[in-house]
Amino acid sequence: MDYKCTRCKRTVEIDYQFTGIRCPYCGHRILVKERPTSIKTIKAE
Amino acid sequence: MEIDVLELSDRSAKFILSNTTAAFANGLRRAMLADVPTLAIDDVNVYNNTSVLYDEQLALRLGLIPLVTSFDDFVPQDECTCEDGCPACVISLTLSVEATADEGRMVYSGDIVSSDPKVQPAEMNIPIIELKVNQKVVLEGVAHMGYGRDHAKWQAGVACGYKNLPIITIDGCDRCGACVNVCPRNILCLGDKFVEVSDESRLNCSLCGLCQDACEIDAISVTENESSFIFTMESDGSYTVNELIINAVNTIKRKASSMGDILSTL
Repeated sequence: MDYKCTRCKRTVEIDYQFTGIRCPYCGHRILVKERPTSIKTIKAE
Repeated sequence: MEIDVLELSDRSAKFILSNTTAAFANGLRRAMLADVPTLAIDDVNVYNNTSVLYDEQLALRLGLIPLVTSFDDFVPQDECTCEDGCPACVISLTLSVEATADEGRMVYSGDIVSSDPKVQPAEMNIPIIELKVNQKVVLEGVAHMGYGRDHAKWQAGVACGYKNLPIITIDGCDRCGACVNVCPRNILCLGDKFVEVSDESRLNCSLCGLCQDACEIDAISVTENESSFIFTMESDGSYTVNELIINAVNTIKRKASSMGDILSTL
């Protein structure tokens, strides 16, 4: 699962074992999950 | 049965239904609420949504937008002869709005673009979501015909209700004015010889009975006519009130007819 760093805007992959929730490029700890490019179908109810 | 129309517009009506039973009046009310099929967005394909609102919440709001419906042109999907959806049972509506980099904007129901020009939102100024700068919403709504008994989004009739016609009898009034003072709807007034009530204001009586309680000589009595009803109803805009009542009555006729067929086979 790819996330995006809110500071450096780079796509990062989280390594839970060694780095935890942290951007490997800038060290920022706020990452957001990117919206998938697929079409999401939902019921309106 | 007699119908005396008091007020009639495209979106609301008030009429007196006379010489009928409470069961029929309630049947008509329920048919208008639950048994007249209308169009509403049922499935939403979300291509992009960078707004603060969840896709599901956005879909719910889209589903509740009333769409102008032509009763003869569309059929509920369950009753359609096709298998995968056809123009008679599926309508596509798209919403593609993006706020500029300078300022946000409100997305209204008028921003929805329909594939069928006859199917449009009943109101163009229903707010859906407020987009902040650079946020955007791109989605497709798929509308189906459905019934109000399945979901409120398919409910064409709103605020449908009735009450019995009030009968106010004044006999032996001493013109003390106590009933005039307690009436919460101000339908009573002091006449030259006794308390009076006009035919128009009589319809506003809520049958609360406060005037009866206030009268010390029991000169006023408020009762209800068991066979006459003051009916008030509104349409959400998907049909005019006329079409809604006619469709509701046709539904009752169809159900009664099928009931007759079933009983005749027994």
